[in-house]
Amino acid sequence: MWRLNKVRHKAAGRHGDSLEELKLKRREHERALRQARRDRQLVSKRLLLNEDEDQPEVTMDTNSGEQDVVSLFHKLQQTGSEREARLKALSKALRDPSAQLAFIKQENSMHLLVGFLTGSDATCRLQAVRCLHELSHSPHTNVAPACLPATPYLLTYLSGQSTKFTELCLYTLGNLCPESDVVKEKLLAQGIIPALANCIENQRHNLAVVEAVGFTLSQLLQAKDAAEKIIPMVLASSLPSHLLSVLTPDPDFGLAPAIECAWCLHYLTCSTEDNRVLLAHGALLKCSSLLVSLGAAVAEGNKEEGMELLICPLLRCVGNLLSSCPVEDLSTQVGDVHIVVALCALLQAYLQTQPALARESAWVLNNLTAYSSALCSALLTFNLVPGLIQLLPFSQGINTMILRALANIAHKKKEFCVQLAHLGLLSALCATLKMADQEMVILSMDVLFMLVVSGPQVAEEFVRQGGLSLLEAIQYNSKGDIRRRATHLLEHHLLSYSVVKTYLLNL
Amino acid sequence: MQQPESVRPLITERHHPTGDTHERRPRETEEGNPFTFSPQLIHLHKDHELFEDGDITRHMYLQDLYISEADDKPTLSVSEFACHISGCSAVFSTLEEYEHHYNSLHRHVCCSCRRSLPSARLLDIHIQEWHDSLFAILAQRQDMYQCLVEGCGQKFRTSKLRKDHLIRLHKYPPDFRFDKTKKDRGTRETKRQQQKDTAMEVADDVCESEGVCEVMCDVLSNQLEHGESMETHVSQEEARMAKSDSTEEHADLSAAAHGAGNTSTESTKPRYSYRVPTSVCFGHGSVRGFRGRRGRRK
Repeated sequence: MWRLNKVRHKAAGRHGDSLEELKLKRREHERALRQARRDRQLVSKRLLLNEDEDQPEVTMDTNSGEQDVVSLFHKLQQTGSEREARLKALSKALRDPSAQLAFIKQENSMHLLVGFLTGSDATCRLQAVRCLHELSHSPHTNVAPACLPATPYLLTYLSGQSTKFTELCLYTLGNLCPESDVVKEKLLAQGIIPALANCIENQRHNLAVVEAVGFTLSQLLQAKDAAEKIIPMVLASSLPSHLLSVLTPDPDFGLAPAIECAWCLHYLTCSTEDNRVLLAHGALLKCSSLLVSLGAAVAEGNKEEGMELLICPLLRCVGNLLSSCPVEDLSTQVGDVHIVVALCALLQAYLQTQPALARESAWVLNNLTAYSSALCSALLTFNLVPGLIQLLPFSQGINTMILRALANIAHKKKEFCVQLAHLGLLSALCATLKMADQEMVILSMDVLFMLVVSGPQVAEEFVRQGGLSLLEAIQYNSKGDIRRRATHLLEHHLLSYSVVKTYLLNL
Repeated sequence: MQQPESVRPLITERHHPTGDTHERRPRETEEGNPFTFSPQLIHLHKDHELFEDGDITRHMYLQDLYISEADDKPTLSVSEFACHISGCSAVFSTLEEYEHHYNSLHRHVCCSCRRSLPSARLLDIHIQEWHDSLFAILAQRQDMYQCLVEGCGQKFRTSKLRKDHLIRLHKYPPDFRFDKTKKDRGTRETKRQQQKDTAMEVADDVCESEGVCEVMCDVLSNQLEHGESMETHVSQEEARMAKSDSTEEHADLSAAAHGAGNTSTESTKPRYSYRVPTSVCFGHGSVRGFRGRRGRRK
């Protein structure tokens, strides 16, 4: 299992890396990941370390590693008394990628391992699965497929009771999943989904195993064509309810199992627009109430390490589940209106440190307010609107989403418009109308329209704030859509006698 | 059924029928209402760009590269402001900069000849003297040329007399740009291609302005150089008509401009247009370029 504190700054000083070099490596890694995502090739594998290891060490040089592997293999082929020790040595040697290649090149090497994997010696089994695990983690593309002969056994062992062993089987399978379509096909045919369902059901108390199941499932669900075959099978199984039950983090064990299961749920909800099955399981209710408690914790300053790794997929689940949720079920599915409080807390808390998370929170806010008068009303009642208005300067999609949410509120009732104007939205719009982002300008015009037609007092206030000259300038905007809006507002709604009179009197 | 990745929309918007009871604004009943906003549920697909950062963090964590405090603080960016006046592409990082730009260059601009004047009063005088046919008629019989200095109040029969007054009494430098006429931009026959734009008809060679006009004129002239070829030639006559009183009269102006066809080759350059200040335009029939053309667009 992974404990987050374990991974922090993998020993500065390892291989003589300075902190700066570490930073550089991280940034390079991040760049590579971003490119991989753009190529739709974003895949990760996990390496379960040995008990005695603190960090993955590859200290031996490759040549001796390869030789070790070959000689160990030969020795293992002979019967003898040192098999356990040799297998252990082999697993260590197989940490090295070129040794991995050398191993699978040996004829019958996999046959040997499978033999140990299924043999009567439990320790040998453990060492054999560790060898397989190292192989599954290989960066070389032809190594993992070589492990296929072992997979039916790995799947069978998932219903076993040995924690460490089961974990290794799971992470090995998880690493193999994204390798290729051939591998996926085989695993599906061999029954990986029911095996995972049984495993999580029987090992529900064992959070390390639960985390491993979550990881493996997430690897399956990330596949490009998951929506076709994999997701329907998963939805039909007992996995969704188990995933949901794991979501509440265990205070002792930590966030890791919840994180894995939340990501599984995210892959389930984002790959399809029809989420009725998950809604029926109460997924929206569960995720939103969890966000309420997480948001409250964040607002109080209790930011547990790695919390955003859980908050992110939860936000996405809520956002996408909302888009499949019928309006009439909203109140039962969302439950607590304090969800809006939580979202605003998340927005403020992560704005500076993780703007992307703030943006996702704003997106969820839009989906919450789109068709619910109650939630819009809650935003006003809990006095969250001024805080939202203050976020309108921030770009990269944050202000457009927030303005959409505010527009959703305005769209509901004229009384809401009056309140919004009173809370400062009018003057904020006078600024957003001058922004470079055309989407902001158009959205601002639409919101302005709703405010202005809500009542004469709003129109007059707008005129008082210099709105007429602002709109007249907008009539010369380079975009026709925008010009037409400005003209329409001026001609139909602002140049009425009472408004003009007020304006002239105040000149 | 699986659609190929390229075809599947990444954002799906779903509109719910009004199953709820709260009042809805009957916006759609208004004729020609250009406002299009309606609440939308946004579903984001797995590969959507909005999800990129979160996905990266997730995978950094899987690969044991996650640290809770970010190395470098991610930059939260603030929206820029931009001058959207057609033809102006200035961008600013603060609202104040934008306001300064706008007030300096776009506020007191003559819609007929595109000159920018430093103040509303000077703009008024300019328009009166150069774009008002009535002025020309009245000037034959009475003193119409106002002193440019605020508060002086004196009027003169000719612009030369006014200029002398300004030099002698108000100590204006004699080489103040009184006599330079605006560069003749030539009579370009290129007609505009029909486009949705703020087609301000420009009077190229009409405005032989003097005095303070010139101070600001050059600033904009420089900006306009690129747009020259887009100007439609408008005759003096039409320019005067443009300033006539009736609100819809300038429809003719645009008709003249467009009637000749829309075969301009340079279709990608922005058009230039100006704001006429409220003190002149507001509620009256001064030119607001596209206004007259509105009926002609689809």
